[in-house]
Amino acid sequence: MSERVTPTRTAAFEARLKKRYAAERRFKAIGLSAIVFSVAVLLFLLATMTINGIGGFQRAELRLDVDFPQMGLSLPPEELTVIEAQQRLSGQGLREVVQFSAEQTMGAEGAAQLNGEAWRLVAEQIHANPGILQREASFWLPTTEDLASAYAGDGQLELQPLAQDLAERGFLEDNFDVGFLTRADATDPQLVGIWGALKGSMLTMIVTLLLAFPIGVLAALYLEEYAPKNRWTDFIEVSINNLAAVPSIIFGLLGMAVFLTIFPSMRSAPLIGGMTLALMTMPVIVISGRNAIKAVPPSIRDGALAVGASPVQVVFHHVLPLALPGILTGTIIGMARALGETAPLLLIGMRAFVATPPSSFTDNATVLPMQIFLWSDEIDRGFVERTSAAIIVLLIFLLLMNGLAIYLRNRFEKKW
Amino acid sequence: MSPVLPLLLAIGLGLAGWLVARARAWTFKRAAPHGRIAALPSYHAWYAALWIVVPLVIWFLVWNGIQGQLVLNYVLASPEAQALPEFGLRRDAMLIEARNIANGIDAQVMNDGAYALAEPFRQAQSRYGLIGLAVSVIIGGAGAAWAFLRLTPDFAARTKVERLVLGALLLASLVAILTTFGILVTLVYETILFFGKVSPIDFLFGLQWNPDPMSSGAVDGDRYGAIPLFWGTLFIGAIIAMIVAIPLGMMSAIYLTQYAHPKLRAWVKPALEVLAGVPTVVYGYFAALTIAPFIRDLAVSMGASNASSESALAAGLVMGVMIIPFVSSMADDSIAAVPQAMRDGSLAMGATTNETIRRVLVPAALPGIVGGVMLAISRAIGETMIVVMAASTAANLSANPLESMTTVTVQIVALLTGEGSFDHPATLAAFALGFVLFMVTLALNFIALRVVKRFREAYE
Amino acid sequence: MVMHDTAQSPLAEQAQSNEAAENVEPTAVKMRARDVSVFYGDKQAINGVDIDVYQEFVTAFIGPSGCGKSTFLRALNRMNDTIPSAKVTGTIELDGEDIYSSGMDVVQLRARVGMVFQKPNPFPKSIYENIAYGPKIHGLAEGKGELDAIVEKSLRRAGLWDEVKDRLQDSGTALSGGQQQRLCIARAIAVDPEVILMDEPCSALDPIATAKIEELIDDLRGNYAIVIVTHSMQQAARVSQRTAFFHLGNLVEYGHTSDIFTNPTQQRTQDYITGRYG
Ligand SMILES: Nc1ncnc2c1ncn2[C@@H]1O[C@H](COP(=O)(O)OP(=O)(O)OP(=O)(O)O)[C@@H](O)[C@H]1O
Ligand SMILES: [Mg+2]
Repeated sequence: MSERVTPTRTAAFEARLKKRYAAERRFKAIGLSAIVFSVAVLLFLLATMTINGIGGFQRAELRLDVDFPQMGLSLPPEELTVIEAQQRLSGQGLREVVQFSAEQTMGAEGAAQLNGEAWRLVAEQIHANPGILQREASFWLPTTEDLASAYAGDGQLELQPLAQDLAERGFLEDNFDVGFLTRADATDPQLVGIWGALKGSMLTMIVTLLLAFPIGVLAALYLEEYAPKNRWTDFIEVSINNLAAVPSIIFGLLGMAVFLTIFPSMRSAPLIGGMTLALMTMPVIVISGRNAIKAVPPSIRDGALAVGASPVQVVFHHVLPLALPGILTGTIIGMARALGETAPLLLIGMRAFVATPPSSFTDNATVLPMQIFLWSDEIDRGFVERTSAAIIVLLIFLLLMNGLAIYLRNRFEKKW
Repeated sequence: MSPVLPLLLAIGLGLAGWLVARARAWTFKRAAPHGRIAALPSYHAWYAALWIVVPLVIWFLVWNGIQGQLVLNYVLASPEAQALPEFGLRRDAMLIEARNIANGIDAQVMNDGAYALAEPFRQAQSRYGLIGLAVSVIIGGAGAAWAFLRLTPDFAARTKVERLVLGALLLASLVAILTTFGILVTLVYETILFFGKVSPIDFLFGLQWNPDPMSSGAVDGDRYGAIPLFWGTLFIGAIIAMIVAIPLGMMSAIYLTQYAHPKLRAWVKPALEVLAGVPTVVYGYFAALTIAPFIRDLAVSMGASNASSESALAAGLVMGVMIIPFVSSMADDSIAAVPQAMRDGSLAMGATTNETIRRVLVPAALPGIVGGVMLAISRAIGETMIVVMAASTAANLSANPLESMTTVTVQIVALLTGEGSFDHPATLAAFALGFVLFMVTLALNFIALRVVKRFREAYE
Repeated sequence: MVMHDTAQSPLAEQAQSNEAAENVEPTAVKMRARDVSVFYGDKQAINGVDIDVYQEFVTAFIGPSGCGKSTFLRALNRMNDTIPSAKVTGTIELDGEDIYSSGMDVVQLRARVGMVFQKPNPFPKSIYENIAYGPKIHGLAEGKGELDAIVEKSLRRAGLWDEVKDRLQDSGTALSGGQQQRLCIARAIAVDPEVILMDEPCSALDPIATAKIEELIDDLRGNYAIVIVTHSMQQAARVSQRTAFFHLGNLVEYGHTSDIFTNPTQQRTQDYITGRYG
């Protein structure tokens, strides 16, 4: 038989093949660059935030040396609160003492750049350790915002020589600012902290969790295990699926119109914020809960029913424990989303300036992402770094939560 | 009545009922022939506890609602109240201050008259507090008595408890409907109020958006034309953002599922998930701080003099980046849902990988991908923080991405966080905008979810 | 060695009549496998197989489930490349050229060695587009007219033309299972391959559809070398001239179909075809 020449063995075919392979390489390169770009954006974002944010955990501080025995300050031996101690010391002229000592060591120009609230910190330290009144002591105290930005290389140009001079003489440096993690909001970037917002976030999240988790799990159980197949069930399903995809700001509108009308005095309270976010989180928990429950094989239900368990017992003794890791994963993801949410809270008024950390669910409060938003509006350069630092804190929390969710998912992912 | 005390009371009584009922069921059980009774002791316990706690909680909620009014009535009826001004802010302020004094909250007191009123407040509160407590105890006792009378060895406590559990489950799932319903009613109600002041035609088709929350008197319908907002929303969310997100998301998904080494995939997929988990306020900050100035400078250096630092481009680009992981994971799922046999069939014909992807896999996955893109668009147009931080509040009907534009969500925030009063058309307009947004995203989600579901079923 | 019962079983009769009708000696070797082993990771699925696939012959692979028939079949057009863990050793030649050498192009190889799968897998496109897919990607047709001609010719050869000529634009997935499988065969022959590999092409079909496909295979034999994996011994006996019996990754016996079914040299073959296991 003669060799049959098929069209796929011709020279023309091979010539085309070269082009097709070139197209293949191009396509692959485009795919790779799409990924590289996406990851690069992520890295760029994280890098920008980190570089800016590191500065946010520090603040420019001036060294103040005080020769206390000379100054004639004293604290009575009885127990005082910090506020009382501050009042007493202020009455004895602590402010003047601080001003005077600063002028002595740094000169009037330098002393003028000591932060107006610096004396309070001195009073706090005296309160913590009254012994220092008997000796010479040295403190690192925040500068004014002006000097801080001059030291960072911008801001008022005429302050820059002073900053340089003070730094050279060892009076000015950037120190790690522990207080950033323990203070609340303030108007001066040198004095702000995120504890207030963090605590507000925690209180809000507690409310959200307490409402969304039980309701979400119960609803998921109902829909997956008991719901009859009828129009009502369909309607509930459609509602939940849509709620999971409704823009978050709509929940803000609902919260504003409903919750704030019922509790008008609780604008900006974690209770209302938590309730609003719970409405948003609940569908997420229902959907992941249903998937987790669906993944429990029917054989386990049959087995339990076969030994005479009632349907409720089957679900609460057998199905729910097996589905729990999946439900928890979904809950954590939903909570992480709620933790990063800002828009609905903006509408229900959690954008107040809150200078003292909230101590109950009905106090005025703000949350971490809201604090970021509020600070981002400030023009002071000092706030740029503080904002980035707050973002780092928020991202760390979210990373931990998502990491936990991924861990749970991998740890408990069972193939039946 | 502070909320802690009744809660403790309910929990305490419930716990006591639980323990006693269980103990009693055990004595039934020991006495019964073969030690069998109709329900396990723990069900007796739950039956009693529920009969105590549920009525109590309902009573607390009701009492909480009416107690404040009862106290107020008592105070107003007292002789000290005759000194109160008839109406107005001062009257309200004095009442609130008097209550604060009575409760020992040291807030500022501006009206000295409040001190006189504090005493009646104190009386009223202790009086109604006692009444409330007494009724609570009676209700708790009655619930307990009822439960205990019915608990006998052959009482089917389990069925009763289970019926209640089922009721609770049903109630929980109704919350979703209630929420949807609440959203609809709120938005529709406020929107109707708004359309009472501004005609829907002006609103939906007007070209000028310039509301003035401070204005009083006649409403100028010409200021409420929302077309520029709709355009800005679409331009930023559905055009610029999608131009970024669709190709990048699709190509990432394709590369990850079809080409990437498993090790690369194991690293990149979580990285994309992280990108998806970054809160939008962070993206917004990133857009406002880094991208927007960069784009403005770039545009100016290339000769565009009117480039805005709040350009639609900056907001849209960052929003696109935010959506990439979403599109990528939807495309990933859709392509993974196409059976392996399709891919094998194509490869066995001698198709190269990219021919297989472009001519077989993507067309087969198209419904899923289209559904995913619709969900992505719905997300983008409802996204708030990025545009609030990076886009402008000035309405601008333009196709130039370097100009500033505003969106529906930006305006909702701007109108509702301003100083306007609650029934001002500017405030109501925010709800009307919310209504439009809700309906559009609802339609997108609804269609998208159906398309995706149908698509998944086709390959099952 | 075990002698087979001299009384002819219907199976053996069929095999002989089939072969007797055809030329007994092959004209040329189309594919030659020598000492071929296939591994999935550490697990060996095929162990040192030698086999010749002849031009214009139908070769059947039989053997119990999991013995490696599909694995070996997929090695013949390098579909195993798509499984990351799979590794092939030994040599497989197509017209004397090693298909695993670096000079061999996979795309071209697969265009020359077509494949039909166990479950019909038409693309979710129109019937027309399903057939036109191969010619299009390989650039085998200039213009619409030529493409139409290829589509019609392929459908005719697959015996499907009369059934679908009025609805070429309908989706390929809307056809019946048997039609879908013939569509897949038509799709494979549209690029004019030299070898067609079929992995249990009839296992998802009813007897009537099966009969049509078998008829088709017999028709096609004149132009191609065909390899078919089957679980039906009747089918192997009906359509093939050569049969290879695999067991646990080994090629136990390979020879004339009639010999395998009437006169197997190996006990294991004997046991298998008489249904003692499998
Ligand atoms: N992708 C794979 N990865 C790992 N092992 C595989 C893979 N595919 C097949 N195997 C294993 O290789 C061996 C041969 O499988 P193969 O599919 O070739 O058998 P077969 O003879 O075609 O069986 P059947 O008649 O059931 O189709 C089996 O043990 C199987 O488990
Ligand atoms: Mg097989």
